[in-house]
Amino acid sequence: MSNNEHIDRLVNKALQSADGAERAEAKPFLFTRIQAAMQRQPETIWERAGRFIAQPAVAIVGLCLVLAINLAAVFGSGTTAPSMQEDVTVNVDAFSNTVAAVYDIDNNEP
Amino acid sequence: MNQPDLLVQLQQGDEAAFKKLVEQCQDMVYNTVVSIVQNEDVADDITQEVFIQVYQSASKFKGEAKLSTWLYRIAVNKALDYEKKQKRKKNWGFVQRIWGGADDDSMNITDFHHPGIAIEQKESAVHLFGSLKKIPDKQRIAFTLHKLEGLSHQEIATVMDTSVAAVESLMTRAKAALKKDLAVFYKNR
Repeated sequence: MSNNEHIDRLVNKALQSADGAERAEAKPFLFTRIQAAMQRQPETIWERAGRFIAQPAVAIVGLCLVLAINLAAVFGSGTTAPSMQEDVTVNVDAFSNTVAAVYDIDNNEP
Repeated sequence: MNQPDLLVQLQQGDEAAFKKLVEQCQDMVYNTVVSIVQNEDVADDITQEVFIQVYQSASKFKGEAKLSTWLYRIAVNKALDYEKKQKRKKNWGFVQRIWGGADDDSMNITDFHHPGIAIEQKESAVHLFGSLKKIPDKQRIAFTLHKLEGLSHQEIATVMDTSVAAVESLMTRAKAALKKDLAVFYKNR
């Protein structure tokens, strides 16, 4: 018998191996286990969110993101617009009436 | 009690009817699922999920199809959903291993011994199940329902919501794909 014939025989044997197979039987007490599973409390959204965040991959990505935002804030803060400082000064001047200024009236009465 | 009566009682939330349904159909559901996922523990969990879904959504079932067809559909969909999740997990497996994540044993490919296969066919069946994992889902489902659940092409067409001609085509392509894969396997062995 040639090698090809031998392989064909094995292939056909494998293809026919499922013919006449019996049904696999479920494990005992399936209904009891189903009842137990139905009574189990479903996981809350907070528990699910906590489990998601606690995953190392998510935690590392989150940490990198926070670091990136911080670095961007640090290196980006060198270019603050000078006009902002002026605006602040103007606003401070506008509200610079002090208590002394309000009551700064010459008392001409004897 | 026949299935339409069982369904009516199930829709009324009758727990005894649900128990009866589980007892009647548990092997049918389990065999379908275990033949697809090829893992007995996983199949046991999915079988439970199938029946829980049946109980929770019985009121929505309009009775257009037979109860068994509905059960087959849920079982097949849940089994395929599980496999999709496993594939996604496998893609993240590398990252999980780096960061010390849990190693899921069910993701490892091992030889599957179907409990219903005769002893003298076991070895060949292991090779067949190995090749079944590699063919497209629709072909695999059609082949599995026909060979391991003994459904006719007409019944498979109803479960898969397609025509008989389409099922026949799926079966032909499934056999050709399995033949090709098995030939490569035996040549390289």
